[in-house]
Amino acid sequence: MMRGRYLVAVVLLAIAVLLPTWAGGAPVPSRVPANVLVIGTIISDSNSLDPAQAFEFGSTWVDLQVYDTLVDFSRDFTRAVPRLADSWTVSQDGRTYTFKLRAGAKFHSGAAVDAKAVEFSLRRAHTLKLPPSFILTDFIKNPEDIVAISANQVRITFNQSMPEVLMASVVANPVASVVDPAVVKKNAASDDPMANRWLSDHDAGSGPFKLIGWSRNIKIELQAFDDYWRGRPKMGRIFIQEMPEPTAESLALQRGDIDIAMRLLPGQIKELTGQTGFVTKSSPTFSLRYVGMNVGYPPFANKNVRNAVKWAIDYDAIKRIWEDTIDVGQTIVPARMFGYLPETPYKKDINRARQLMQEGGQARGFTAELLVPLDPPLPDVAAKLKEDLGQIGINVDVRVVRNADLNTVYRAQRHQMVIARWGADYPDPDNLAKAFADFDSRVLAWRNQWDHPVKKTVQQAVAELDRTKRDAMYKEIQRTVLDEGPYAVFAYPLRQYVMRANVKNFDPSPLYETYELFNAVKE
Amino acid sequence: MWAYLVRRLILASLAIFGVLIITFFLSHVIPGDPVAAILGQQARQEVIDAMRHKLGFDRPIYEQFVIYLDRLAHGDLGDSIATHRPVLQDLKEFFPATIELATTAILIGAATGLVVGIISAVARGTWLDHATRFFSLIGLSMPVFWLGLIVLLIFYFWLGLFPGQGQLDIFISRPPRVTGLIIADSLIAGDTAALMNALGHLILPAMVLGSHALVGIARITRASMLEVLGQDYVKVARSKGLTERTVIFRHALKNALLPIITVIGIYYGGLLEGAVLTETVFAWPGLGRYATSAILSQDFAAIMGVTVLIAMVFSLANLFVDLAYGFLNPKIRFE
Repeated sequence: MMRGRYLVAVVLLAIAVLLPTWAGGAPVPSRVPANVLVIGTIISDSNSLDPAQAFEFGSTWVDLQVYDTLVDFSRDFTRAVPRLADSWTVSQDGRTYTFKLRAGAKFHSGAAVDAKAVEFSLRRAHTLKLPPSFILTDFIKNPEDIVAISANQVRITFNQSMPEVLMASVVANPVASVVDPAVVKKNAASDDPMANRWLSDHDAGSGPFKLIGWSRNIKIELQAFDDYWRGRPKMGRIFIQEMPEPTAESLALQRGDIDIAMRLLPGQIKELTGQTGFVTKSSPTFSLRYVGMNVGYPPFANKNVRNAVKWAIDYDAIKRIWEDTIDVGQTIVPARMFGYLPETPYKKDINRARQLMQEGGQARGFTAELLVPLDPPLPDVAAKLKEDLGQIGINVDVRVVRNADLNTVYRAQRHQMVIARWGADYPDPDNLAKAFADFDSRVLAWRNQWDHPVKKTVQQAVAELDRTKRDAMYKEIQRTVLDEGPYAVFAYPLRQYVMRANVKNFDPSPLYETYELFNAVKE
Repeated sequence: MWAYLVRRLILASLAIFGVLIITFFLSHVIPGDPVAAILGQQARQEVIDAMRHKLGFDRPIYEQFVIYLDRLAHGDLGDSIATHRPVLQDLKEFFPATIELATTAILIGAATGLVVGIISAVARGTWLDHATRFFSLIGLSMPVFWLGLIVLLIFYFWLGLFPGQGQLDIFISRPPRVTGLIIADSLIAGDTAALMNALGHLILPAMVLGSHALVGIARITRASMLEVLGQDYVKVARSKGLTERTVIFRHALKNALLPIITVIGIYYGGLLEGAVLTETVFAWPGLGRYATSAILSQDFAAIMGVTVLIAMVFSLANLFVDLAYGFLNPKIRFE
């Protein structure tokens, strides 16, 4: 009996001593076959893969692989490049674009992609009026403005002059994906004539990958399309696997069960970065985090008080709270987007902030409620803001709330201060300028009750065809918002993925989770 | 017996209806706009308004309740605003995963808990008793989330004895859906590879999920056994010269089982609600994560669907426990 107990103790001790040794050293070889890519991420936020409806990070990214659009963006997002259309012409007034389709493009069903299919698809998304449809309807008045004028030519008449980047913002968006009309019609139902329900987890595309299936909360499976017009993609299969827990995801990556981990925590990314066998890739995103100040709340009606807040914030400390997974940015157009103004004039300067409080008639300070969503690390950021603003006499009352509650209060202009995010719906500065500076658009400027004459410039810049002039207009808008606006922008979040070192051409994109995966490969 | 069963089923229906009313009104009076929550802060107001109208959220609450009841009577649980699918379809998809996990967890928990509890009672006061009680205490105070990660680290990552997350390896196709339970469906399809793989995936999360039940069952078994072992009839049995095994299993355990069965029933009912933490760590596509995301996004139809289902499960679990009493103790009559 005693001998048995000693034996157990010795074995347990040996395991305890040896385990860490086994855990270290060279990474375990990948168990994923060479022509298959397994990506760990969170897909449960997606509710539909119908391109007319997909509007979450996960679903739009999958649609980017399964569907084609007429044009695409250059990788730096400053130009439109051909995709299904191999060329296009634009009318003198910049309102009418005529796209010529390339020969040889096929749907996954084998049917040819023709101009009628493009007309059908864009009209379908326009008519369905689902969440992303505003990207079409804001710029194309009627579905009839999208016309197939020959078998391989489509004409789109926009409701305003469209600079090239803005045209691409509409036409390269997944909502403008081309779907196979025959497949849609075949799967339509009397209460669902556009097969929206069916397309939510089925494929009618012509993109580089076919959608094999979507098991909700489990996986999305894609397969290379042999007849893709650019040739067969390098990876035969792609599995996008639900991994809701980042520690477990990190273990799966190190164990070789997945090739790419897209949802690791900053600490885990740091730990794996630089380790043999792993590569970390990072990109700023077209989104930003900001503190919104409601001008309807009397103290914030004064520009000097708003600017005092901007001078009181410790931007570097916030970056540390975020464990370096953000870039400090202060202008409303994020880095790498056309029109970006690379200026960060504000840094923590308490004396200057106090001076501005005095000039703003608030020398004795005031109390303000700050709404902050539950998402980490925002409550910590709010605590830091409370400390910073306390130094200039603003007593911040932090209220951590669910996004649902925050949105309700924010939309009703009932907040005093709020920490919020804005992600570009399309990669053109118009999207951000409209939201942050055009009161009439009834988005963020309206919610914060900031009605400034700069809105006129916003309304003109959107249709300015001269690139240089347009660039200058957006820079002017950003300077005005920076100097007078009710926002203290403090972060451009980064998108960071850790992957096995043999994975190539899998790059995070500022706009989507990654660029299109046609060239992704494992060496 | 049948009259008792019918009466219990009627009572259960009333209880479920009560739960339905409370949940409906509670979930509708808490602040926050579910449509704004789902569509996010960037959605246009007109899109939000259109969706609110489409879902009937702009009607008075009593009218919404009547509409809900009418649809429910026709077997329609409504559509989830988060998944854009009928709630019934979602439940059919996610609940079987929970049944599979909860059943395995309770089997592990009950079998081990019984053995540990009996050993602890029989060996009362010895190092074995102290050790089992010590580990029970540790087990009870260990957060499931942490335990899940530790178990994954040791058995999946370090030792490689078990597969990692999910119900099946990613490359293995799910057997055709008949029952929704992967184990049952693999058996029906005769797919041994899927069966073995699914069993491998099931063990770690079931162990973790069953750990709390194990400890609870072990403790109640020990207490109940100690009580019974002190009874006169056990002393008589021993004085008759019966073997210790016969005394413990034939005489003592049989009489100690009633409270144990109750506890097992309650634990099983609880496990069937879904376990969001275990499901998150093991990427298990069960009811727990569905229910949690429904609550966070105020997805009314989904919240109601999950509530009705859980109320039914609890009522049935209670009923089965009561029926089990009768089989274990013939003195109990169903009247």
